[in-house]
Amino acid sequence: MTRRCNGLWLLMVMMGLAYSAVGAQQKQNQSNGDLTVPGQSPNIKLVSPVPNGEWTLPAGDYANTRYSPLTEINTQNVKNLRVVGTLQTGIAHGHEGQPLVVNNTMYIVTPFPNDLIALDLTKPGFPMKWKYEPRPDPMSQGVACCDTVNRGASYADGKIFYVCLDNTAVAVDANSGQEVWRTSVGDIHLGETTTMAPLVVKNVLIIGNSGGELGVRGKVTALDIKTGKLVWRAYSTGPDSDVLIGSDFHPFYAKDQGKDLGEKTWPPDAWKLGGGTVWGWISYDPESDLIFYSTGNPGPWNPDVRPGDNKWTITLWARHPENGQAKWAYQILPHDYWDYDEVMENTLVDMNWQGKMRRLILHAGRNGFMMVIDRETGELLSADTFGIPVNWASKYDLKTGLPQEDPSKQPHTGITARQICPSSTGAREVLPAAFSPVTGYLYIPAHNTCMDHEAITANYIAGTPYLGSSTNMYPGPGGYQGDLIAWDVANARKVWDIKDPLLPVYSGVLATGGGLVFYGTLEGYFRAVDAKTGAVLWQFQTGSGIVGNPMTFKGPDGRQYIAIYSGVGGWMGAVAQSDFSTDDEYAGLGVAGAMKNIKKVTAPGDMVYVFGL
Amino acid sequence: MRSSIGSVTSFVMVLLLTGCTQSPVPGAPIGQSPGVRIPVGPIPGPGNNLTSLPQNPYEGDQVAMVEGRRLFVWYNCYGCHGGHGGGGMGPSLRDPVWRYGGDPAHVFASIAEGRGQGMPAWGTKIPQDQIWKLVTYIKSMRTPQEPDTPLLAPQPPVTHPYATQQQTKPPSHGAYGGATEQAGGGQP
Repeated sequence: MTRRCNGLWLLMVMMGLAYSAVGAQQKQNQSNGDLTVPGQSPNIKLVSPVPNGEWTLPAGDYANTRYSPLTEINTQNVKNLRVVGTLQTGIAHGHEGQPLVVNNTMYIVTPFPNDLIALDLTKPGFPMKWKYEPRPDPMSQGVACCDTVNRGASYADGKIFYVCLDNTAVAVDANSGQEVWRTSVGDIHLGETTTMAPLVVKNVLIIGNSGGELGVRGKVTALDIKTGKLVWRAYSTGPDSDVLIGSDFHPFYAKDQGKDLGEKTWPPDAWKLGGGTVWGWISYDPESDLIFYSTGNPGPWNPDVRPGDNKWTITLWARHPENGQAKWAYQILPHDYWDYDEVMENTLVDMNWQGKMRRLILHAGRNGFMMVIDRETGELLSADTFGIPVNWASKYDLKTGLPQEDPSKQPHTGITARQICPSSTGAREVLPAAFSPVTGYLYIPAHNTCMDHEAITANYIAGTPYLGSSTNMYPGPGGYQGDLIAWDVANARKVWDIKDPLLPVYSGVLATGGGLVFYGTLEGYFRAVDAKTGAVLWQFQTGSGIVGNPMTFKGPDGRQYIAIYSGVGGWMGAVAQSDFSTDDEYAGLGVAGAMKNIKKVTAPGDMVYVFGL
Repeated sequence: MRSSIGSVTSFVMVLLLTGCTQSPVPGAPIGQSPGVRIPVGPIPGPGNNLTSLPQNPYEGDQVAMVEGRRLFVWYNCYGCHGGHGGGGMGPSLRDPVWRYGGDPAHVFASIAEGRGQGMPAWGTKIPQDQIWKLVTYIKSMRTPQEPDTPLLAPQPPVTHPYATQQQTKPPSHGAYGGATEQAGGGQP
């Protein structure tokens, strides 16, 4: 071996030792310390692989890869996949999120009213063990911007943890279905709701809020998993003391350095209504003991009333989970004009990047840029457009971390900017991508939608929308509106894609050790695709548009199963629901114009499907 | 004696306090004030129609429609119900389906009182006059009188998106995962 390889071999041995030490310390759901998966590329290392067979966290793993090493269902036999179980929740709203499977029980959180259903997987037909009904406040439905969805739960310490739409966080005994504690973490009378799947990290349950369209101040709340009591809270705007920025904070870019920027980069007091909500996914790196998440749009949508960078909206954070203190931050888009929330998942992968192993974050942005970030420092390593038309900016300057924006695409008060790509719903939305360590591809559920956007007077009335915007969306160029994109991360290029001519790809994605990628369409097709080639190997019409995230597990019989929700909804999908009129292209914050055809192809549904061989 | 004066007085007071535009609901028991001014549901008993609902003072008034449109934006109605009432957080106001009644008096009541799934009770904050103007605008939707109709013309096709800029140089050793020797690669 060359000297270089010797050095690297030594490094790998040391990392392996470090990992096993960390693995021994973790008293987490991740019970097996094996951090490699069969067939994975030698230049890729997973941060926290899914323990074989169970699915105890929203993304399966802490790193948000949504990759399962299970191999039984593979490219050869997936054509035999069939329905083995179904459940109807009876709620005709968007079924985002995914079930959990732990101890041979499947746990489902429904859309509002956010019931928790436990199914016994050991018995045929998967009968219901119990149903927990938290009865959240029905008035919360009136301040939920984008359908009354719920993105799922976490399991730890014998309990299922999730948050209801009215901001009630609950802990439920996973065996008995009895409530252990409940804690309110927000106020619907300020327009605040919760839709995200909270994450358990060690002793805390980490929760983000929603309401960036209603003048809600973004925040992350950590509760003690045993008692539900508040441990820490980090706001997305305001002075450093509120944002939990202290002496350990080292942002990479000069633009993100300074004191109390969460206050100074706003007109006086505007940060109190500033948005930056946290309604997407949280990742955790057990080795560096850091959580990663990114924040939503600034409020109001009208950019002229909030001159300044509007920190810390649309910002990627690294924080310590036990006390919330910030380690670094990178503001992906200062002074947003377009509602390009970046709450999408931050996938943690260690891989060979341009010649050396690096600890990365993969973030396929709402803004259409595939961002690769060094998770040790917050440095932006690359930002290529990932295959959807983008014109709000031409590129990112890696030296400054700033996008180079096109001023003609920036709306102002009374001035309509036209044909902005992507639309506010983005080149992709919060529906999560999956990463395969075997192919090294990130599988992105993408949209091709553009918009006209005019800023109008924004009027703050607590508990009502704080927008100041008139927006209508429509399909982008090229004759397609959805795209499942396989992106080769190391080579920064699209490898294959599956276009949907009519509708966005609005589901989550699952990648498996059997060489498969699973996703769903808004027409209702659930598909298995060859992870390397993109060939569609199997599909099943589920009856309603799919906006949930596929997951996989090992049943009590040791066989592999795949589960998915089928029930159209969410911001774009809700146009299919009966109380939307598509002759108003501005309805639904502008999505009605882009989703005119959806009522013809799908209708609301409420099914949980389990598939097996 | 005192008690019947008291009950007559309070009856008169209630009549006065319940507003001048109200007409008594047909069928209310004699001597008792009805509990509701604008019934939404059916009145018990055969053949009773809601014939005496309050009338919209601005019925058909074009100026009121325009003013109502202004208020619809000003009070953020557009943020929940859609830019031109097509729906969003709240249901569409353009379609003929009404959860709580579609008569102008019912729409008035829904705005004024609020509703249990999240419609705010605006009657606690803004004058009746403005609520009637909002009603007038809402009831004008999908009619030729609707002010500021939503865009219905077909959009021109989107042109000139920026070309994908490949900023990342592919590694010179080729794609990972191959059998070739790579810097930094190699198994033990």
